[in-house]
Amino acid sequence: MSRNLFISIANFVNHLERLFLPHGGPPPALAYLVHQPSSPTTRTSQSFSLKDLIGDGMLWAVPKHRRSVEKRLNRKFGYPEYVWKPLKEKRNLRSCQHCGHDHELGLLCPHCYDKVRQETQLMQDKIQAQLGLEPVEQEVIILYEGETADQTTDAASGKRIVEMKKPRPMWFTKNLLQKSTQQSSDTKEVKPSNLA
Amino acid sequence: MHKMIRRMAQLTVQTPLLAAAPVTGAAKLLATPPAITQNVDCCGVHTAASGGLCTKWNKHNYGPRKWLEYNKTVHPPQEVDEEPRKAYVCHMRTNIKYSPDKMWYIAAFVRGMSVDEALKQLNFVLKKGATDVRETILEAQQMAVERHNVEYKSNLWIAESFVGKGRVFKGMRRHARGRFGRVEYKHCHYFLRLEEGEPPQHYYLPEPQTPEQQLEQWLEQMRSRKIISSL
Repeated sequence: MSRNLFISIANFVNHLERLFLPHGGPPPALAYLVHQPSSPTTRTSQSFSLKDLIGDGMLWAVPKHRRSVEKRLNRKFGYPEYVWKPLKEKRNLRSCQHCGHDHELGLLCPHCYDKVRQETQLMQDKIQAQLGLEPVEQEVIILYEGETADQTTDAASGKRIVEMKKPRPMWFTKNLLQKSTQQSSDTKEVKPSNLA
Repeated sequence: MHKMIRRMAQLTVQTPLLAAAPVTGAAKLLATPPAITQNVDCCGVHTAASGGLCTKWNKHNYGPRKWLEYNKTVHPPQEVDEEPRKAYVCHMRTNIKYSPDKMWYIAAFVRGMSVDEALKQLNFVLKKGATDVRETILEAQQMAVERHNVEYKSNLWIAESFVGKGRVFKGMRRHARGRFGRVEYKHCHYFLRLEEGEPPQHYYLPEPQTPEQQLEQWLEQMRSRKIISSL
């Protein structure tokens, strides 16, 4: 009966061994049950201890020294050799000749541009209110107070007319809307039309 | 807390200049604490004329007031031969919805500049706090001319310009993986002192020395050496 018991235990352990270590050597816990360990080298190569890893003192991305207050302030507020964080004075500002406000050199004056933008917005609102969202097939002509369209040319070509209920701004001359891609004419007689 | 955060999201900073209101109205506005304004409905629809915080839940904290006390000091009469004291005006804006660290850059930029130059440069500073600082400078300039005996409004320079921490409201935001982050809604106070006269060449001390001054200093150091234990 003791022999049967021992055989059943050994079978059970063999099953366990096949389950947990199908290809390997003896499992460390049950090695003594199955057979004696063959050599000490195999067991130590498989065994794994935290001491081997951290025993030497490996540190992961940790500051080695305290940053001095000068370094901290340099990084926070910037310094010339690295990155200058404080704001720099702009030397390219000039006065606009038309309105007197300041603008950057080479850029449009924001005040003048705003004036034009507001007028454009009014024109666009009027066009949208009158013509809606129809597809753009014909040109739109905008007339201010006291202006009449050229009946022969405009009505004939079927251009749509939008009338604005305000006087024409002084800076909005008619030649501003002339196309720059106009074809050169064959005739040598040029009639001045709608200039300023 | 979540109601507060929702209200914070709806707030906008709109501050009209004192120029809009008459002088008496402006005086009354300055007499009362700056953070409180006459808002009818402040939390739902934010009306203009506010210091950046809703008055509904800011009644107990008016913000700093000591800075404006400097305007009220009465100096003793000066002697005839004494140099006339430069006129100055202290002004501030409290609880601006902007981080004090970010506002520091604008305050430091403007320090030591003449008022015209500061206003011109601030037009082209692409930061949120620049509009508040510009408005504060314009208000202070107006106050100086009207009440502080300054003759020309261009004859002013920025003697002091610094930032203080204002109200901070804390909130939460969620991240992925069930993590939560802390959100701080920061405010700052901006303090300003304008002084009459030309701005100095160098605001910060010590001034950078010319080569002649450096030579003089070196000679002085060399000549002041002592041979120890000598007669």
